[in-house]
Amino acid sequence: MENSGAQVAQEIQWIKRAQQGDPEAFGPLVQKHQQRVFSLVYHLVRRRDEVEDLAQEIFIKAFRAVRSYNFQSSFATWLSRIATNHCYDYLRHERASRVSFYWQMGENSQQELEANAESQPEQVLDHEEQTVLKDLVDKLLARAPEDDRKILALKELQDYSVEEIAETLKLKPTTVKVRLHRARKRMLEDLRHWREENKGHAL
Amino acid sequence: MRCDDIRDRLDVLWDGQPPAEVLEHVRQCSSCLQYQRDLRLVRAGFQLWKREPPVEPSLGFAERLVRQLSELSKTPSVSDFFERVGRRFVYATLVLTLLALLALTLPSTGPVRGLGVADLPISAQEASLAYSDPIGETGVQEPPDVAPVEAPAPAVSNEVK
Repeated sequence: MENSGAQVAQEIQWIKRAQQGDPEAFGPLVQKHQQRVFSLVYHLVRRRDEVEDLAQEIFIKAFRAVRSYNFQSSFATWLSRIATNHCYDYLRHERASRVSFYWQMGENSQQELEANAESQPEQVLDHEEQTVLKDLVDKLLARAPEDDRKILALKELQDYSVEEIAETLKLKPTTVKVRLHRARKRMLEDLRHWREENKGHAL
Repeated sequence: MRCDDIRDRLDVLWDGQPPAEVLEHVRQCSSCLQYQRDLRLVRAGFQLWKREPPVEPSLGFAERLVRQLSELSKTPSVSDFFERVGRRFVYATLVLTLLALLALTLPSTGPVRGLGVADLPISAQEASLAYSDPIGETGVQEPPDVAPVEAPAPAVSNEVK
């Protein structure tokens, strides 16, 4: 506990020095938070090859904005907020694809996949099926409205608690719960519509 | 119960098990059954993503970043320039607005401004002119209310010639 207190005090020192424009003091902050930022970026954009470039841009942005950090929330939450906004600025220019591997499967294979997905997917599904399923979720997220995408990625991929999402997105926890419920429902409704559109295309 | 309500209550499937009456409806309703299957399918997709091995920063990521930040902080960025100029512009606008508000709210006379033009004493002759032809169209002068200044009357002599 004492150690944790000392770590917090040390982090505050680094932040204060970074606020005075000292890039050397920002280094330990990068070291401490890089794993969390990399994981968040990967779950938000889901492109391995883009993660490091985006993380670099996020840390540069954070260094330039560090003077505006007022210690009201934790530094990790503040950084997550910058990362989330930056990734969605990047994703805003991406057009949602209308093609998913899932629709190229035969109807029997789709039903088999659905049945297998009900139990432990990583144990029951083979590599190809896992790729199809991940691609389906990736495309569904890309088709979802921006607010839904953020909240679903933070909850279902990054495993943030409702409180953490509320802090990151500057919302009330009750609002997060309502939006999460609606986002999940909208995504499933979208899948139903998408299924109707692709009914004739299944092999 | 309506299908829409059932789907709302199926939401707990993301984290747990829905109540028995919901599952009973799902068993009898093909549309809700498909909804439940889709939910499990999507949830499984999310779980697969979550279990993906994390992307690790390449060796020396933080050190390279600090070097880059050091170079960047040597040259002031365009955004810093605009921030400085922008701040000055905001201050100047505030001062000008304050001055304009003061000018509008202060009385036109008083100890701050001194006497107004309307308060200056005018002569009787100026008053008569203003009364007779306030806009200066006719040039006709009517007798003023103000008693004219009479020329001194010639002295009357009672002397018997």
